[in-house]
Amino acid sequence: MSSEPLDPGEVRRAPGPVLRKAPGPTAWLDVRRGAVGHWAFSLNRVTGLGLVFYLYLHLAVLSMLLRGPSAWHGFLRLATTPAFLGLDVLLIFGLLFHGLNGLRVALVGSGLAADRQRALFWSLMTLGAILLIGAALHLLGTE
Amino acid sequence: MSAGPGATSGGRPRTWLSTAFTGMALLVLVTVHMVAHHFVVREIGGLRTYEQVLEYIGNPVIFVIEAVFLIVVTWHAMLGLRAVALDLDLSPRLARLVRPGVVVLGVVTVAYGLVLIGVLAGRA
Repeated sequence: MSSEPLDPGEVRRAPGPVLRKAPGPTAWLDVRRGAVGHWAFSLNRVTGLGLVFYLYLHLAVLSMLLRGPSAWHGFLRLATTPAFLGLDVLLIFGLLFHGLNGLRVALVGSGLAADRQRALFWSLMTLGAILLIGAALHLLGTE
Repeated sequence: MSAGPGATSGGRPRTWLSTAFTGMALLVLVTVHMVAHHFVVREIGGLRTYEQVLEYIGNPVIFVIEAVFLIVVTWHAMLGLRAVALDLDLSPRLARLVRPGVVVLGVVTVAYGLVLIGVLAGRA
């Protein structure tokens, strides 16, 4: 499980991930026949795009601080509703998956763990799940 | 299991290294940011009041950390956007616009973010 080699013919000449030409512009999104690596790649991109969207949403929300305390406190009333806190948990899922899967890609791509990537993936995902549960309990349980 | 199909970061080793280094830095910076903003304050959701935000960002050390976080996260985001855009099989003319496009977007994003936290720090 942990020592599955990379695909034959993928010769590494430089640091970085093994690159293969995608068969179409959005092929990375099609996971119907994909293995775990393909799912991880697609989810990494989806969470990445979601986090870019969140970056701009976050800047827009923080801009409310420029309008003074009343605008910010109005946002706080919305931000502390259970539905909004649920979105915070979704954000933390995106951060954990993208960050931990990115760590795997960096370790594998740099050659530090090229023969351990499946075990690395599941270990990091397990860690991520534990952190996500802890964060969700903290966020939703704080009074 | 491979890193995944397609070009993950625009295809060039230098770009991949930039993505990896900013990503590693973000593992630390995001953790600091999330803990500081969600797991320190005891109110629901861990969010700060207006006065608490100003006091927080008015701390010079915090200001520098948040500024570095903004720059690194924007850099990483723009590298990711570039990689996704280049995977769209754009025409050569459009593909040439991707790099300057993300550079401009990144510079504008960082500039706006720095002005935002600078104004807030000035009110502290």
